[in-house]
Amino acid sequence: MAKFLLSLVRIFRPLLNGRGIDFNSMMVIVETKLLMDQRRVYMNWRQGKTKENTNHLRVALLFYGFMGIVMGSMIYFVDNFLTIMIFTHAYILFMMAMILITDFSSVLLDTTDNQVILPRPVSSKTLFLARLVHILLYLLQFTFAIAAGSWLFTFLKYGFITGLALIFTTMLTVLLAIFVTYFLYLAILHFSNEQRIREIITYFQIFMMVFFTLGLQVFPRLLNVIDITQAIDLKGYMFVFPPVWMALTVDAFRLFQFDMVHIVMMVLSILVPVAGFWILFQFLAPGFASRLSALQGTANVVKRKEDRDDKIERGSLSERISAVACSTAVEKGSFAFTWKITGRDRNFRMQFYPGLAYILVFFFIFVLRGNKSIAENWQQLPETNNYLWLIYLSMLSVSSSLTLVAFNESYGASWIYHSTPVQQPGEIILGTIKSLFIKFFIPIYLILFTIAVSIWGWHVADDFLLGFFNNLFCFLVLASLTDHYLPFSRQPDTKQQAGRFVVILVQFILVGGLVGLHYLLISRSLLFYVIIPVLILGIVLLLKKLRTLSWSKISI
Amino acid sequence: MSVITIDRLCKVYDGNYVLKYISLSFEAGQIIGYIGPNGAGKSTTIKILTGIIGDFEGNVHVLGMDVRKDSIAIKQKIGYIPENAALYDVLTPVEYLNFIGRLYGMELESIKKKSTELLHLFDLGTKMDQRMSGFSKGMRQKVLLISGLMHNPEIIFLDEPLSGLDANAVILVKEILSQLKKAGKTIFYSSHIMDVVEKLSDRIVIINKGEVIADGTFESLQQQASSGSLENIFTALTGNQEHESTAGAFISIIND
Repeated sequence: MAKFLLSLVRIFRPLLNGRGIDFNSMMVIVETKLLMDQRRVYMNWRQGKTKENTNHLRVALLFYGFMGIVMGSMIYFVDNFLTIMIFTHAYILFMMAMILITDFSSVLLDTTDNQVILPRPVSSKTLFLARLVHILLYLLQFTFAIAAGSWLFTFLKYGFITGLALIFTTMLTVLLAIFVTYFLYLAILHFSNEQRIREIITYFQIFMMVFFTLGLQVFPRLLNVIDITQAIDLKGYMFVFPPVWMALTVDAFRLFQFDMVHIVMMVLSILVPVAGFWILFQFLAPGFASRLSALQGTANVVKRKEDRDDKIERGSLSERISAVACSTAVEKGSFAFTWKITGRDRNFRMQFYPGLAYILVFFFIFVLRGNKSIAENWQQLPETNNYLWLIYLSMLSVSSSLTLVAFNESYGASWIYHSTPVQQPGEIILGTIKSLFIKFFIPIYLILFTIAVSIWGWHVADDFLLGFFNNLFCFLVLASLTDHYLPFSRQPDTKQQAGRFVVILVQFILVGGLVGLHYLLISRSLLFYVIIPVLILGIVLLLKKLRTLSWSKISI
Repeated sequence: MSVITIDRLCKVYDGNYVLKYISLSFEAGQIIGYIGPNGAGKSTTIKILTGIIGDFEGNVHVLGMDVRKDSIAIKQKIGYIPENAALYDVLTPVEYLNFIGRLYGMELESIKKKSTELLHLFDLGTKMDQRMSGFSKGMRQKVLLISGLMHNPEIIFLDEPLSGLDANAVILVKEILSQLKKAGKTIFYSSHIMDVVEKLSDRIVIINKGEVIADGTFESLQQQASSGSLENIFTALTGNQEHESTAGAFISIIND
């Protein structure tokens, strides 16, 4: 597809050549960039094996294509044209902006361009145009994947002209998405620095993954609640939203009705993206690259320093906690180290936080399960014992951090464990485990506890107390069952060990068994105080076992 | 005729002058060693000379052309091998060189021929079609060297070209540089490795805090500083003679 689009660009050769633009160089750059796109690993597809020759782009496109067909089929089933069109355009706008911000940001913000291409005889206009054409081609591929389903069903149901109009407004929507994203970046760049942008993008990416996970699980259930077939009542403020303009533009062509409202909307839907794009091309973009390269490195040094001095004085949070939670120096070091890196490493956050979304997903599935509507389920909630799920859900998500913590981009730095006189690597592992438990499990557990108390009342407190020890016990059992890797010592994307499945199985049996036990005892809460000491004994033994792990037990 | 003339060059970053009224001119067919401590302004000078930074005060001409106006024409005739080896490492060396070569307007045929042969010379023949993400720093540096020299430039700007190369490759690159010089090319060379600069350069320019503090042949610098190696000259001139006391303090802190 990229090749086909590239040959389409050649048609514009007479238009683009000259005036400081070297068409051939531009095509060479675009071609190379498209090739690199296929090799980039897309953030949504990180997990699993990455073979060198996989065309990651194709996998991503197929996924979006599939979603597009599902979304498009709604055009067929929903009869209110305006509503479904607004929905479709909003979906396209949202998806494109998200793709631009998340997957494509690495390309937009890539300063390798400056180092590789700027020393070559390529004018900045050529480079800019190459970037632009590349972005357009890239987005065209995604536009097609996302919107082809909608186009297809519109052609089928509403005929040729409406279909064409939709294709046209889709393109305008994409232009708008580009403009909005670029503008967003420029604004952030203006007030802040590159580092900050990368941070912000990380959060967008996390949001995106949460959105997908949640969307796929929860969306079908919500459909019963919101009645999408109802006509949207177009109120004044709604005319601010571009999807409404686009929808009305398509509507005008469907009905062949060109009254005042339709024409104004049509003008807006064409004028705003085109004007935005013109402003972008004329004023904003040329400064973008230079601003970005100027920002590299220098800007953010000063502020950080004050920050650091302050921290050293009172000791960072992790260090203060480690003083209480850990006994030996090695353990304390490992505790603070894990705490800090898990907070700063982008890849860790990217893989860990979306997993937390499963708490929400399971909340919907388990807590609100039943045949009645969500609202009815919600009302009956206090009469059920479903808070048990809340107690043990946090476990499932947090346990993923145990495996994730072994991976890091700079895994090579782990030579430090081997060059220092560490007698019992178990202390390092224990420090890490404690760090993960305190940093991730306890806050989540407290939040869930608060939620549970507000729904069920204080009588769940002793359940949460038992749950706490149960969870800690499970967490430690898992920690001793998995292969023991030192924190941040493994190369990302290396294959998971074969034993992984067994661990998951044990995890489910263990958690299931403990939840079952808890469930059986739920009305005899006095017995909890018999079990808790047993659990504490188990916890102490497990802690001891982990601490005394020897080098022979450490996987490398 | 001088191939590079720098006339009262100044560069300001965030209100600080990183280059202060630098005036220099260089003849063709020389190897110029450009040295200075970290942050002295070496890379900035090179980036201005190669037309990458266009925002500066003063006048700079390369091959008789103004770097502000004719940066594209200049870039066509020079080669630049930067320090922090940034390249598109999802590509294979052959793909990368094809890309860069075509940006120089070279024909695909000639790029293919040259790049394969050069890669073989650099012992990368077996890695030609592997992606560079797994390459070591030295291997990347070799690819960068080829990408900066393939189009047969008149002037070659090198920023720490030997970093990461193994001993054999260092000898090879040094030999390549002296043969390029014999062919009449000008080499502008910035490095920290003093003994290489000492042996290779026809002329040595030392800058410190944005100013030229020494300029001449190795012998003339030796007289100026009345001391032996370039390393000693360098410390004498850059005014950093506290090494001994700093080292002493270092030891005493460790002993605490």
